Parts: sequence; C-alpha cells; structure tokens
Amino acid sequence: MIISRWFTRPFKSRLRSGADWFEDRTGATELLHKGLYEAVPKKGGWAYALGSATLALILLQLFSGIFLLLDYVPSVSEAFNSLDYLRTSDGFGAWVRGLHLWGAYTLIFVIGLHMLRTFLSASYKRPRELNWVSGAVLFFLVLGLAITGAMLPWDQAAYWTTTVVTNIPHYIPFIGDGIRTLWRGGDFVGPITLTRTFAIHIWVLPFLLFSLIGAHLYLLRRHGEFGAWVNYDTDPDSDEEKQIGERIRRAEPPYPTKRIERRYAAPRETVPFFPNQLFKDVLLSTLLIAVIFVMGLISGAPLDGAADPATLNYVPTPEWFFLPLDQFLVVAPQNPLIAIGVFGVLGIGAALMLFLPFIDRSHERRPLRRPEVIIPALFMVFTVIFFAVLGINRLYNL
Amino acid sequence: MKQLTRREALTRGTGLGLGLVGVMLSVPAVGFLLSPLFLKQRSSWVTVGPIDGIPVGKPTPLVAEVPVGTGYPTPPVRRVVYVVKKPDGGMLALSNICTHMQCDVHWDPQLGNFLCPCHGGLYDIDGNNVGGPPPQPLPQWVHRTSTDAAGRTILEIENKLNESI
Amino acid sequence: MSHRLLLTSLSPVAGSILTNGVVVAVVALLHIQIATYLTGSSTLATVSEAISMARHDERHGRLAHMMVKSQVYLFSTGSAVAILFVLFVLTGLWAIFWTALQQIAFWMLVFEATMFLSEIVLLYALYANWDRLRDNRRTRLALLVLLNISLWWQMFFIDVVASFMLTPNGGDVSILNQVLNPTQLPLTIHRTIGNIAWAGAVTAAIGAFNYLRLTRHSPEPQPDAPSSLRPLHSIGAMAAGHLETEARRAEILHWEWVTQWGVIWAVTLSLMQPWVGYSYAKDIQLHAYGAWYTLMFGDLSNVFLIQIFLLGMIFILASLFFWRRMVRSGAPHARRQLILMVVLILLTLLAVQPAWFAGSYADAIAAAGNHPWWDGGLLNPVGNFIPFKVAALIGMVIFGLWSVTAYATALSRGHIKPGGSSRGAQRAALMLGVTVSLMMMVMGVLREHSRQPYLVYGEITLHQQITNTNPSTPAVPPGQP
Repeated sequence: MIISRWFTRPFKSRLRSGADWFEDRTGATELLHKGLYEAVPKKGGWAYALGSATLALILLQLFSGIFLLLDYVPSVSEAFNSLDYLRTSDGFGAWVRGLHLWGAYTLIFVIGLHMLRTFLSASYKRPRELNWVSGAVLFFLVLGLAITGAMLPWDQAAYWTTTVVTNIPHYIPFIGDGIRTLWRGGDFVGPITLTRTFAIHIWVLPFLLFSLIGAHLYLLRRHGEFGAWVNYDTDPDSDEEKQIGERIRRAEPPYPTKRIERRYAAPRETVPFFPNQLFKDVLLSTLLIAVIFVMGLISGAPLDGAADPATLNYVPTPEWFFLPLDQFLVVAPQNPLIAIGVFGVLGIGAALMLFLPFIDRSHERRPLRRPEVIIPALFMVFTVIFFAVLGINRLYNL
Repeated sequence: MKQLTRREALTRGTGLGLGLVGVMLSVPAVGFLLSPLFLKQRSSWVTVGPIDGIPVGKPTPLVAEVPVGTGYPTPPVRRVVYVVKKPDGGMLALSNICTHMQCDVHWDPQLGNFLCPCHGGLYDIDGNNVGGPPPQPLPQWVHRTSTDAAGRTILEIENKLNESI
Repeated sequence: MSHRLLLTSLSPVAGSILTNGVVVAVVALLHIQIATYLTGSSTLATVSEAISMARHDERHGRLAHMMVKSQVYLFSTGSAVAILFVLFVLTGLWAIFWTALQQIAFWMLVFEATMFLSEIVLLYALYANWDRLRDNRRTRLALLVLLNISLWWQMFFIDVVASFMLTPNGGDVSILNQVLNPTQLPLTIHRTIGNIAWAGAVTAAIGAFNYLRLTRHSPEPQPDAPSSLRPLHSIGAMAAGHLETEARRAEILHWEWVTQWGVIWAVTLSLMQPWVGYSYAKDIQLHAYGAWYTLMFGDLSNVFLIQIFLLGMIFILASLFFWRRMVRSGAPHARRQLILMVVLILLTLLAVQPAWFAGSYADAIAAAGNHPWWDGGLLNPVGNFIPFKVAALIGMVIFGLWSVTAYATALSRGHIKPGGSSRGAQRAALMLGVTVSLMMMVMGVLREHSRQPYLVYGEITLHQQITNTNPSTPAVPPGQP
C-alpha cells in the first residue's frame, strides 16, 4: 500500500519524502547539523587543525594497517619473509608499508605539536582537565603502538627492539621479571613474544585508542574548543566586566561552559565549525597525507636482514622518537638505582604530564605568566632535544 | 532479617550474574595469560665445536644453533658463545647477552673490553662489568667439555645461562 | 699522513714540559674566560634587545647596550691574549705539536680566523652606532644576530680542533673526520649552553658589584618604604639633593634587576649541563678510555670532585640569592626556598665524597659486607661513585629547577618587589660569578690534562713525538664501575 503510493508520486517529492523518512527514523541530518555548525573560536584555527590532523593520521594508520594485515604473518619464521615478499614482489605492498611507517612518524610529530599547543595556550584548565588527561593517555597509547609496531617485521632492527623493550620491565622491583616472562612467553625472546606483541599492536592498543578517541571528542564538544588567551582578551580601554558580560550573553553553544571563570567562559569572536574550521582541518590533513603519500613511495619502510640473535656487529638503533629515552638509559643511575632512574624519574615525569591540569590550577592562561609550568616544560623539551642529538652522535660513532 | 524488596532482589541478582560471568571468563583467560610463568623451558644440549685452536687471552666468538625451548616448535636460533681461555688453564663460555638490556656484546680489541653498542656497557676479559650501565657480569652458558674420537676438546652448551639476567 | 713525518726531524723546543704546560694553561684559561663571555653575552644581548623591542622596555635595552660595550672592551684584551697564546706560547713552546696541528686542522683554523673579521666589523658597527640606531632597532637586532652567528661558528671550529685532540677517531685527518669526531657534538652543545650561563653569571656579578658599590656608604633601599631613602628630604633639604637620591635609587634598582636577570639565566642554563656533560664523559669513555679513566678514577678524580662541588655551589648560591630576595620582599613560600637550599647542600655533600672515603663495591664485597649499612654491611649508600653520585646529580638538577621555577613564579606574580634586595643576596650573586669562573677553569684543566701523556690523544705525545701506537689502548687498567 505505502510502496504503491510512493511510486505514483513525482521523483523529487519521492526523494524528499524518502529523506524525511530516513531522518525521522535515524535523526542523521540533525546530528550532522549539530556536528557541523558548532561555534569555534575565530582566531588560531590553524593551531586547532593539529588536533583533527592527529585524528586523520590515526585513521590513516588504521587504513594502511588493515592492508598490511593482508600479507603479514605473525610468526618468527615467516614474518620477515612475508614483508620481504611485500617489498620485492607485491606491486604496491611496499608503498602501503611506507604509508604506515611515514604515517606513524608524522603522527608522532603532529601529536607532539598538538600537545605543545594545548600546553602553551593552557587549554587544559577547568573544566577541560579530562580532555588533557585523555589526550595524554592517547599520546602514550600512540607511543605504545609505535614501539610494538617496530617489533613486528622481525628483521634485525625489530628483533633487537623487541629484546631491549621487553627487557625494560625487568627492572621493576618484585614483579618485573614476571612481566618480562609474560610478554616474552619465556625467559628469552621467542616465538610467543612475536604473537603477543602482534595481539597488543593489532587489538589491545587500538581498542583502547579508539575508545579514548571517542571520549576525547565527546569532551571536546561538551566544553567547546579553547583557543589561546588571545581569544579571551578584553579591550584595555573599555570596562572589562561589561565586555565579558556581553560576550557571555551572546555566546553560542557549547559556550559558555559551566564551572569556568567568567573571563574565559566564551571567546570574543566565534565562527561556525563548517566551513571555516573544517576547511583548515581538511587542508592541513591533506598536506600531511600528501607528504606521507610521497615519502611512502620514495623512501618507503626499511627492512634489515632477517633477525639474527648471533650477530656481533649490529648496532641496535631505536626509532628517532625513542632516542631521548635510549640516551637516558645511558646516563641514568645504575644498579641498584636503575629502577629509580628508569621508572622513578621517567615515571614522575609522565605522571606530571598526565596530571598537569591538577597541578597547574591557577586561572592564568598567558604563557609568560605561568613560569611554574613553562620553565620545567621548556627544560624538558630542551633535554629531550639534546638527548636525541647526543644519542644520534653516540650511535653514529660506534 | 530485613525483607528484601523486589527491586533489591533484582539488583542483587543482576550483580551476582555479572560476577559469575566475570569469574567464568577470567579463570581460563588469566590462567592462559599467566601460563608462561609456570612453563619450564625445554632443556637441550647442543655441540658448539672443537675449541683446541682458540688462542689464550683472546676472546673468540663461536656460533651454536640453540633450541629456543619455549612456545610452539620453531627452528633453533643462532647464539654466540665467547670462548675465553685463561693463562692459568681455565676456560669461560661467555654469552654475548648484555646484562643491561640484553643487546649483542662484542669484544673490542681497541678498548680491550667487551663493548655493548646499545648503551656503552663495558666488560673486561673475564666478563666483569667495568663501565657503563650493566648491573652484573656477563653470564656464561651452562657448558661442559668432552673429548671426541680424534682427541679434540669439544664444547657443548645447554640452552640456558648459569645466572638469570 | 706522510707530511707529518717530516716534522719529526725537528728537535723539541727547550724548556721543561711542566713549565711549558703551566704557561699554556695560564694563557689559555685567561683567553677562554674572555672568549666564552663574548660568545655567551652576544646571545644574551640579542635576547635582551629582542625583549626590549617587544615590550618597549628600557631596562632590557640598557642591559643589551652594556653587554655590547663590555664586549668591545674585552674584545681588545681577548685578542691580545689570543695572539699571545697562539703566536708566542704555542709556536714558541710547543712548535712541533703546533705545526702538526696547524697542518691537520688548517681549514678549521682558517675558518675560525675568518670569523674574527666579521666579528670585528659587526661589533664595532654596533658599538659606534648604538645610539644612532635608536629609531631603527630592527637593524640593531639584525647586527646582533649576525654577531651571534659569527661568534658561534668561531666556537664551533675551535671546538672541532679541541675535541679532535681528545678523540682523533683513529687519526684520520680528513676534514669530515675532524668535524664528525665522536666528542665534537657533545662538546659544542656543552659549550653553547655553558657560554650563555657564564655570560649570565658575569652579568649577575656586574650587577652585584655595582649594587654593592652604590650601597656601600648608605642604607639599601627598602621595598615598601622609598621614603627611607630620603633622609635629606625629611629634614627639608634642597630639591637637588632629593633628585640626586632619586636618581641614585633608580640606579640601584637597575643594577639589582640586572643581577636577578643574570642569576636566572646562569642557573637555568647550568641546570642542563650535568646531562650533557655526562653524555660527553660517556663518549670520552668509549673513544678515549684512558683519558676517561684518568678523570674518573686516576690522577684527576679529586679535581673532578672539585668540579662537582663547584656545580653544587652554583645551585646553592643561586637558591641562597632567591631565598634572601624572597624573604626581603615578603614573598609567600620563602621558607620553601630555604628548604630547597638545604636539600641542595645535602645533595652536594653526597656527590662530593671521594671514592676512598666512601668505599666501592669491590671493597664491600672483599670485606663480606655487601649490603647497606643499616643492614650491618659496609656499603656506604651515599658515596660510591656510580650510581649514587649520578642520583645525587639528578637530584641537584631537579631541586635546582624547582628553586628557579619557584622564584620565577614569585616574580611573575609580583611578589618580588624592586628594592627588595640585600647586600647579602648581592654578595651571593657575586660569588656565583666567581664560582662559574672557577668551574670553567677547572673544566679546562680537566679536559686538557686528561689527555696525558698525549697532546693529541694516542697520536702526538707530550714530548711532541708522533706515535703510531694504537690510540685507544687504555693506558691504565680498567677500574670498577
């Protein structure tokens, strides 16, 4: 009955009613509308594009990773061969692997910049503390994905990375040896080590990653994008209270956010997310993906010789983003304080980063007015850079 | 005893059901996960080779095909045995696994030490840790020597170290 | 290289190695104090001028001008010392070595000398036209940046030579091998940071000296009671006298601010040095084992301890300065600064214990007391070089960072009041400058002396003989960790 009536109507009307029917059943358009037309701060759109670029690059990793799974075999005797085949014989396979590797490099670089931006603009302050915490956990998850991914090819680089990384828990007092044994599936790196690392890389970490991305985005939309303090500045010549009151009065959702100082409740000027912000987001992501596209082809992903535990002259070299940690292992205090060095100092550093919003609770947003966090952070940034350079120098000269 | 309301009884029942499911799922899962802690490495002895020609005071690397001994059956892996002959007639069968992060240690004649390229650990000719991060001396392979029909001294090792690292 | 063999036919120059060495050391140390100040202060002058431009701040501009002037005065002196050093001392007393080094590092030294040219032009252009460029500060800044670049490259090229002498990397004299020798990068980073820290310390010392000079015969200004500075005014003195006191007060406040500015730079950058320096030591261990052993366990180990003591003193004096200033300004959490200073003192005491006092693992094992003292053992948990000293060093960095961060926070919150200084705090800043100076001298002596018995490690001996020995064979037996 309904169907016959639908067929007798003009085409355009049919289409419209079909869309209405779908909208009525799903609410898709409303959702899309809500997603696209939210207010974002007018200034600093290129800096916020780093966040969406991070998301785009994570999705790219998912995409290229699925394709790699079509050929890769997680077994100590086959893993290297399957990737060697991919490299030499499988048409576009090497390119896809190049995309995955350069995607990872770019992702870590961009996620670092995104964190730096959030840190400098103090976007982590009330009520966005959990945005920062979820983001920091996401950062650690991405580092975990990067390190487990580096173990999978089972070439020389992967084998020694596996050996060193799975040995680090050994220095945790009491339970360290147990963790190492569980990860390795025995005292030494063996066949079970690879399958466990594979499971962690393919299922455990991505599952956590995508759950947290959902939470991160939900929180972002709940509290609204927080730009740098320039978005909240007032005109020094006129009455500040009046300006702020006016600003809050005409604020669009999701501003003004509850439980926030009035001064930082709503930005001075906002624009709809679409098309203003989305254009910048898409442009930056396109640029980054173009870089990955080109680098994946011309540089690709390296594959050393097959794993050989009996090697004598191979210098195990970590990926560039782990070089500072590697150099820290060189200068950290040694036995019996090695656990304090590796887990104490780095653990405190990681905890400070994770719980930053609960440490820096002042209302101040301007970077130069927050020396209590800016000085230690700059110190950390410079230490990381110096350690990376010194690590390269040390490994190059061996 | 207080009479349970219908609501309370249903809440408790739900909790009980979820708890039961949790126990049923976690017993095999946790057991499976922890099993490597209780599985013993399968022991096996392999022949490294004759060691008569090795000069005294010069650590010499020999390679042996050593079974992994854990996990599903896989081909044996190549391992290095550094044979060090002492002037007093003693002999060491050092592994080249660094005690810091288990990287590949090699004898560096210029330094007069074993050098670990990962973090610059140094061991002297006896395997004592003398510099850099390593927390303990180089372990030896569990080994024994025998004499074959031709009168040569043959070194054999087991697939484990004499000290845990 | 074959051309080096010709040099062996020359006879060594008369004079004992000891006196020759002492002469070189004295001249070189004088030279290095001036040269590093020039390099570091050009960076700080650039930063100061940039801040002055961005914030339209008069004080930073005046500080930059002062630094440029001091550079001009020191540049002439420094050049004279450099000529004395290179021309007379090295050519006269160490002829064979110096000729060999000239041939090896010819291009490095040529580049280095070329930088003098641009440096002279830029420095005098800045000095002569500083006031004329008042309305064209971008040009001033550009000249400062260029000066910075040429001074940095000068340091880089001399670092290549200095690090090559310690780790010649197999004695290959190709330019690439010289530049990429294993300790070049650590040394360059170490000195780039160290130069700025040293310039900061000198700035602090200049500020402190002027403050002390101005407040010598009269009371120091008080933070909240400027009227206390005007005793003449209060008894109805003449307006001229009043104006003079006001100008004097402004002058005192300026130098007080200069001191603070210098101390913050000096201590913040010094905080990075232990990490970089340790990596540098590690590279020396891997590529010049004997030299490293001399430093850590051999003849120089006690000198090395002095160095750690001086490093601790830098942090302690800085936190003393911060503490006194916070107390006089009535800033909140001043007591926390005091606690940080005490912690830094304890950590320094921990780090400077000589190995013979502390005992090593080997001693403890030999005496069957290989467990901590609270367990009835012999192991002194605080003295053993590694790992407890490294832990102490890390602790010093963390607490030093805490100290400077706390002070900067108080500063940004407006808790540090101008005029809230005391002569004691300024004396601490003056001592900080002296300490950093001593630190650099000890460091120079350490690095140069650790090469013994070589001039170019493993290649040219102290007796100026070119050897073909294996460069890295340890001259001393390996020690305990």
